[in-house]
Amino acid sequence: MSMSKKHVKPSESLLQKTTHLMHEGMDGHAFGEFEMPPALGDARWTDELILSTWYMGATGKVPDHLNYKTGKSDGGFDRLDFKFVMEDEWLGHNEEIDTSIPLNRRGDERANLSLPIPIYGGGMSYGSVSVNVMLARAHNAKKWKTYISTGEGGYPEELYDLKEHVITQVATGYFGVEERSIQASPIIEFKYAQGAKPGLGGHLLATKAGEEVAKMRGSVPFVSLFSPFPFHSTYSVEDHSKHIDWIQTVNPDALISVKVSTPHDVDMVAVGSHYAGAHIIHLDGGFGGTGAAPEIAKKNIAMPIELAIPKVHKFLIKEGIRDKVTLIASGGIRTADDIAKAILLGADGVVLGTSDLVAMGCTRCSNCEGGPSGRGCPWGLTTTDVELQEWIQQEWAVKRLDNYYTALQWRLCDILRKLGLSDVKELVGRTDLLRYVGGDN
Amino acid sequence: MQLLNKSEEIGEMAGGKEVTMMTMAEFAKLSRERADSYLRYNIDAKDTVDRQALPNRFIVRVGKIGLAKMIASEVIQYWGKWDVIFSRPCTYGVFSGPVGGFSPRPEMCVGCLRCTVQHPDFVKVEHNPARVALGDTYLNSNIISTIDEEARKGTVPVRGQGYRGRFGGPGWDEMFTDMSEIVRPSRDGIHGRELISTIVDIGSKPMSLKFDDEGNLVSEGPNLISIQVPFVFDAPPSGILTPRLATIWKDAAEQIDTLAMIPANMVSSNGLASRSVVPIISASNAVGADSFKSGTRMVELERWDSEAFKAACSANSDLIVGVRLPFDPGWQQQFEDMIEAGVSVIHFIADNHGKGDGGRFIMGMLLEAHEMLIAAGIRDKITLLNSGGVVAADHLPKAIICGLDAVGLEQPLLVAIQARLSGDLSSRDNYRAKLPRKFNDSWAIQRIVNLSCSWRDQMLEILGAMGIREVRRLRGEVGRAMWCSRLEAEAFAEIDGFMGGGE
Repeated sequence: MSMSKKHVKPSESLLQKTTHLMHEGMDGHAFGEFEMPPALGDARWTDELILSTWYMGATGKVPDHLNYKTGKSDGGFDRLDFKFVMEDEWLGHNEEIDTSIPLNRRGDERANLSLPIPIYGGGMSYGSVSVNVMLARAHNAKKWKTYISTGEGGYPEELYDLKEHVITQVATGYFGVEERSIQASPIIEFKYAQGAKPGLGGHLLATKAGEEVAKMRGSVPFVSLFSPFPFHSTYSVEDHSKHIDWIQTVNPDALISVKVSTPHDVDMVAVGSHYAGAHIIHLDGGFGGTGAAPEIAKKNIAMPIELAIPKVHKFLIKEGIRDKVTLIASGGIRTADDIAKAILLGADGVVLGTSDLVAMGCTRCSNCEGGPSGRGCPWGLTTTDVELQEWIQQEWAVKRLDNYYTALQWRLCDILRKLGLSDVKELVGRTDLLRYVGGDN
Repeated sequence: MQLLNKSEEIGEMAGGKEVTMMTMAEFAKLSRERADSYLRYNIDAKDTVDRQALPNRFIVRVGKIGLAKMIASEVIQYWGKWDVIFSRPCTYGVFSGPVGGFSPRPEMCVGCLRCTVQHPDFVKVEHNPARVALGDTYLNSNIISTIDEEARKGTVPVRGQGYRGRFGGPGWDEMFTDMSEIVRPSRDGIHGRELISTIVDIGSKPMSLKFDDEGNLVSEGPNLISIQVPFVFDAPPSGILTPRLATIWKDAAEQIDTLAMIPANMVSSNGLASRSVVPIISASNAVGADSFKSGTRMVELERWDSEAFKAACSANSDLIVGVRLPFDPGWQQQFEDMIEAGVSVIHFIADNHGKGDGGRFIMGMLLEAHEMLIAAGIRDKITLLNSGGVVAADHLPKAIICGLDAVGLEQPLLVAIQARLSGDLSSRDNYRAKLPRKFNDSWAIQRIVNLSCSWRDQMLEILGAMGIREVRRLRGEVGRAMWCSRLEAEAFAEIDGFMGGGE
C-alpha cells in the first residue's frame, strides 16, 4: 500500500509536468482529438456529459460535437425536453435576458440578497475537498456574485477574504462552526440531511481526516468523523425555530437556508421550515453527490429531485406561501438543461456540486472517500493529501469554473430565447413548457 | 450510607437468595455485574482473502514503445530530477511493479482514468468483458462485485460520488425507501449507542389470549423461533448442494443465529441436525418429521399437502412445520388452503429473478399475500418467507416492506464463497456453480458471516434513516416506501407526452 510512503509537496518541476499532462489530456479529449476513453461515464454522467463539461471548462462555450444536454438514465431530466416556440419567434441574441433571482422573498428586515445567475455552489467541506478546490470555488463565486457553502468542516482562514460569497453550513456534527464564521456569512445553511445519504448524517473517513482537517474540526487526526443524524437538538419545527433564533442573535442580517433531503413528506417539511423562519428551502435529491456515503443509501433512500421539486412547489402554492419562499434544488443537476428543467418543474434556482468538480477534471471514479490508496482523489480534487491536492492550482481552477459558468449561463439564455422568454423567473413551475419523451431521446 | 429496601429484583440479582438489606455500593456492584453479563448481538466479521478472485474490473493496455519514448524524453528533459522522471499518473500502483508500466498491474486499477487521459497515445483502460459478463441481467456483475466485497470485508460498502445508474425500475429499483428529517435512533443506532433490533420471529403468535375464571391462561401461547437477522439460508439446487456445502450453510447459520434450510436426506445422512437447521421434508416422509434431533426446531414441507402437513404436525407438536409454496399461477388458492389448515410458516418460492405467476415480480405478489392476511385479521399468526429475487442488500428491506418477515438467501451465499455461476441463473434448479478449487470450510463460513454482517449493517442504515427501532416494525410498512411510478405520475401528470410512470 502506498500509505506507507511519506508523500510530500511536489517539486515545481513535478507540478509543472503533472498539471501540464493533465490539462493537455483533458483538453485533447474534450476537443475530440483522442478516442473517447472506453471506461468513462455511466448512465447519469455519460462519457459525453463529462467531456462536454471539460469542454465548457476549457472554452466557456458549449460543444457542438458532444451531447451536453442529457444523460442516459432513462428517466427524470433525461426524459424531459423543452417545448420551444417556432424559430421565427425566438428572441434575438441582442435581447436582454435576465437570469437573476432574489433570495430573500420574506420581505423581512434581513439582507435583500439576489443571485445574477440561478446557481450557487453546494457544500463541500474542508477535508472532503482540498483547500485549493474550496478557494477556487469561492473565487469563482465572487466573480459570478454568487455563493458557495462551506459544507460541514469549518471555515478555513483563507476564506475570510471572500466572506461575502461564502455560506456557513451548520450541520448535525457542528464541526468547525464558530461564532466568527456565522457572523461573517451572508447566508447560514442548516443542513438537516444530504441527498446522497438521507437520514445517515455525515461521514469523513479516517484517511482524509488529517492533522489540518482535524484541527479545523476540533477532532483527533486520522479518526473517522461521523456527523450524527438528526440534529440532536431538533425534533420539531419549534426546535428548528429555536435554531434560527440562535443564528439571528449571532448574525441578525444573515438569510437562513434549510437544506433537507426528499422524503415522502418533503412538502410539509418545506412548509414547516418556512414558518420557522427560513428564507431558502434547499431540497437535495437522492442522486446527489458525496465525498463518502454507503452505497445502499444512494438512490434507495428518498426520492430523486425531479420528483420532489413539483411536489414541494405545488404544496407551497396550495399553502399560499410560494411567493415567500426561495426554492433551491440540488442532487443530480448536471447541465444547463437540467437547471432549466428544475426551474420549469418549480424551483427558483439550483445548487451545483459534482458538476463543479467535473469541470475541474473529475471522472466520477468514486474514490473520493480515499480509495484503495487511502489518499483520496488522484485528480487532486477530493483529497487533502499534500502531494495530490497540488494538482489543482487555484488560478487554473478558477478559470475552468468561470468558463464553465459562462457556458451554463449561455445555454440557459439560449433555452429562454427559444422559449420566447426573457427572464428566468418566468420559467418557475411552467411545466406546460416541458414535454415528456419516451425511449431514446 | 443509604440502605435499600428489599425487592424482588434485588433478590433475583443476588442469585435468588433472600436479601433484606443492601448497601448502595453492593447494589451498584451487582448492577455492574448484571450489565457486564449482557452481550449485545454481534456478528464477528473478519477480512478474508480471495480463493477464486473475480476477473479484474479493468484491462489496462500500455503501448511499450510509447512508454519507452516517454521515459527517454523525460530522462533528457528532466535529467537529475528523479522525482519527476519516476512519477506516474497512478496513485494505486498499477504502474509500480518491478518494471513499471511495461508490466502494468490491472488488478490494482480503480478506473480513475488519469493515465489514459494524460497519455491517450499509449495507455488505454477498458472495462474487462470477463468481469462484465459475470452473472446475468438480474444478478449482474455490479451486484456480484458488491457481494464479493461485502463477503471479503464484512463492512458496508462506502464510496464517493453519487448514484450512477438508471432513474427508476424495474424490479426493486422501482421502490425508494423513506426517511425522516427529525427522528431517532438513526445514526446513534447505526453505531450501536442505541439498539436497533434486527430480530425476527418465525412461527405463530396467537391473535389473543384466553383465560379461565381464575385467571389461568387456557389458550396456546406463541410458538416462535427468534432469529437475529431477517434472513435465512436456503438450499442451493441438488446439483450444487454437497454435504460439505450443507455443513458450511449450517455452521454459518449457527454462528449468526439464523436458520439453514437443507433437504432432509442430507441432514439425516450427514448428521447435520441442529437448532439452526430446518430439514426440508417431502410429503412422503412427513411422519418422520420428529426424527431430527439435536435441537431441531422447525421442518419445512417441500410442497403443500394437507395430509402430510397434519402428519408432520402430529409427529411432534413442538416442531414448527413450515410449507414451501411456489409462486405458480393460482398460488392464492393454495395460500388460502394453507391458512385454513393452520400453517404458521409459509415460504414462498419465486424464481431467482424474483418472478412467478406468469412473470409477475415478487414485489406485487408479496404485498398481495401480506394484505390477504391483514384483511383476514391474522397477520401475526403467520410468518411469510420468500426465496428467490433478493440478491442485493437493498432488496432485503424492500422485500420486508412488501410484507415478508424474513428472506431466504441462496445465490448471494454462493457468490459470497466466490462460486462462478453459469447456466440459467433465473431458474431455481437449472444453473451450475463452480466453487473455488481449494478452500477451507472456515474461510467459506467466514465469507458468509461477513456477508451477513454487511447486509445486517446496511439494514441498520435503512432503519436508522427511517427512525425505526426494529426490523419487525418494517414488515409491510408500505407507508415508509415510495414507488417511482406513482411519484412520477404525481410529478409529471401535467406534462405533455407523459403516459404514466415506471415500466
